[in-house]
Amino acid sequence: MIEGLVILLLTVLITLGAVVTALWKGPFDKLIGLSIISAGIIPFVVMRGYLDVAIVVALIIPLSTIIILLLLGRPVQ
Amino acid sequence: MLEEYGRILIAAALAWILFVSVDIFWRLPQKGGVSGANAIGEMIARRGGDRNGGWMMGNIVSSPDASAGTLLAACGVFVAGIPGGIVAALLVFIGNRICHDPGYAGTTGALIATAVIALSTQFGFFPSDFIVGTVIAILTIQGLSLTKASHLLGRLWRWRA
Amino acid sequence: MESLIAAVICLLIAVYGAIRAVIEQETLARLPFINVMNFGIAGAIVLILPHPLTLVAAAAYFIGSTLEANAIASAYAKRGGT
Repeated sequence: MIEGLVILLLTVLITLGAVVTALWKGPFDKLIGLSIISAGIIPFVVMRGYLDVAIVVALIIPLSTIIILLLLGRPVQ
Repeated sequence: MLEEYGRILIAAALAWILFVSVDIFWRLPQKGGVSGANAIGEMIARRGGDRNGGWMMGNIVSSPDASAGTLLAACGVFVAGIPGGIVAALLVFIGNRICHDPGYAGTTGALIATAVIALSTQFGFFPSDFIVGTVIAILTIQGLSLTKASHLLGRLWRWRA
Repeated sequence: MESLIAAVICLLIAVYGAIRAVIEQETLARLPFINVMNFGIAGAIVLILPHPLTLVAAAAYFIGSTLEANAIASAYAKRGGT
């Protein structure tokens, strides 16, 4: 039952993040929405025991955000 | 059951006092450490908050500080006892340097928290109480009223300075 | 497992942080609430699976999310906001 509650809360987080990323307009807001989604999925990966996958994903998603920010800073060609 | 919530609340209060003291000791409210912290501090000041308090809150967001140290130390002691807490302090130190933060607030916070949590187990506390406690403590600072929290932190900063 | 109750508390705080961030209008002001969410998730990770390596996962998640928040804040400040 408690396990179901954990799954429910994580799903709420992921869904909220997905909806909000679609609705918000600015690029920085969308990146914040992506971080909400990733906050929801990492515990799922941990729950199944894939700790090494969790570590890698937890490092790559913020790295992607930083790369996106760098790309946003460049003038459009 | 009720006793567990009492323990968690006491752990939250201890964690609050711990990381606020360590952060103020290391002068986090003095200025924004990294550029993101400065931006958040200015934003809070614009909303009517205290500037120094805002800078400290910006520093909490932008770089692992004593609050991060306390949380990860609690996680470390939870999984692996005192050695786990020390490993957590090392991880926070590495995290600080990755974020280009030359400070020691996170590392010292983690070490002090490890000692406090290890000591608290003699009084019947569990490290998991401190994990939840630190999250609750951060909630009170960053998650309720940004301006009111910044005023409180600003007052504590001036009292120290 | 009592630590699962603690995990639920951490997750509730995380969801609260996310909802406050959604309600908030100003981009920079969302970041402290996202920070609350990250603290909650990092705590929940360790409470869900007590294992020494989970500490590394929680630390990796927390430092990654801190780096990310800092990058968003400083990029927003530099570009003057959209």
